[in-house]
Amino acid sequence: MVAGGSIAGATAASTLRARGWDGRITLLADEQVPPYSRVPLSKGVLTGALAADAVLLPPLAADIELRLGQRAVALNAHERTIILADGSAIGYDGLVVATGARPRRLARSGQRGELVVRTLDDATAIARRVGAARSAVVVGGGFLGMEVASTLRARGLAVTIVSQEPPLRSLVGRWLADLIVAAAVEGGTEFVLAPGGASLVGDGQVTAVATADGRRPIEADVVISAVGDEPNVDWLRSSGLPLAGGLVVDDRCRVAPGIVAAGDVAARQVAPGVYRRTPHWTNAVLQGRAAAISLLDPDGGPYVPDHYFWTEQFGLDVKIAGELPLAGEPVVVDGELPRSALLQWQRHGEPVAAVAINYRVPVTRLKRLARG
Amino acid sequence: MIIEVRRAACEGHGLCEATAPEIYRLDDEGYAQVLVDVTPDVEAAAEAGANVCPVAAILLHR
Repeated sequence: MVAGGSIAGATAASTLRARGWDGRITLLADEQVPPYSRVPLSKGVLTGALAADAVLLPPLAADIELRLGQRAVALNAHERTIILADGSAIGYDGLVVATGARPRRLARSGQRGELVVRTLDDATAIARRVGAARSAVVVGGGFLGMEVASTLRARGLAVTIVSQEPPLRSLVGRWLADLIVAAAVEGGTEFVLAPGGASLVGDGQVTAVATADGRRPIEADVVISAVGDEPNVDWLRSSGLPLAGGLVVDDRCRVAPGIVAAGDVAARQVAPGVYRRTPHWTNAVLQGRAAAISLLDPDGGPYVPDHYFWTEQFGLDVKIAGELPLAGEPVVVDGELPRSALLQWQRHGEPVAAVAINYRVPVTRLKRLARG
Repeated sequence: MIIEVRRAACEGHGLCEATAPEIYRLDDEGYAQVLVDVTPDVEAAAEAGANVCPVAAILLHR
């Protein structure tokens, strides 16, 4: 049984088959859409340039039962059953928890029109609004907020990004963040720093974003929040499974006997008492695979985090190998800054990360460059 | 089953290789390539590797 119909769940299901599990596999998906890639949602889908069905993953094998529109609402780990929203119960032998995360929202109760980018429905809802819109405010200066802003700016909208911290800085480090923000500014995107936070303005329909510093609220036709996400663990509250900023997994994606987890819902202990989720595509894929392997063989081998990440925004295609954030300044290995370059970060003379900016390089080579 | 890698779409993220190294490998230019003929015993692995492509560059023709 795989709870969750996105890439972590789909990867787990197909890995179970690839690794020789010939029993039943059921994939529960709360959305009505078959598994799809979330990667283009902040890009082509947002403007309608990419048709919604273009993001669908290749169909799962016919012997994997896909149950769409089925949301798990509770788990009884002792009886090995899942309760669905309609009250029915399904038994399982092994369970992959891949229920993902949902966006945080800023709207107060009664406010409507706050847009987020998580699901295909979210992205197509924005696409419908973008056609007639001339301005957008994006709250959040993380990867998602920046990609969304980039896409809307390229579409011709006047775009303002409101963020609590300097955009991307805590994620990728000052040097790379500055480079990307410079490209954004050059392209006409505006930035507002709001250390005290931001709130949505409007009784009923949201029409603007206000910052805590008292300046005039920023009005826009479209208001999009990209202020992080929260793991979908509510259905596990009464299960007795370990929850700490997500469903806690060990180094093999194991949770409890017969239960593994993968993707945005899974939290790993990175230091005593510190649990962290890694809500990226690469991680969802590798954990989905590792979770399936561990379910078939609990000692099947540890999950090795792969520090590879990429983003496309403001005309920059950025591929990063190595642990983030990046400290200090890079060495230019090839190409020329700022438009196309292969870069290496070092610490005490040893390579710790490599970044390709608009520079075509096999990811394997990028990873080698990150290790030296 | 026949695997088609759309090179124009491939961005070289390498997740196909990470997921199904027996089927896919990035070539020297960083594009995905298919290593073997897909026989029924490796179809599931071929599917797993195609599914994880973030830009849907791998098509499976059944």
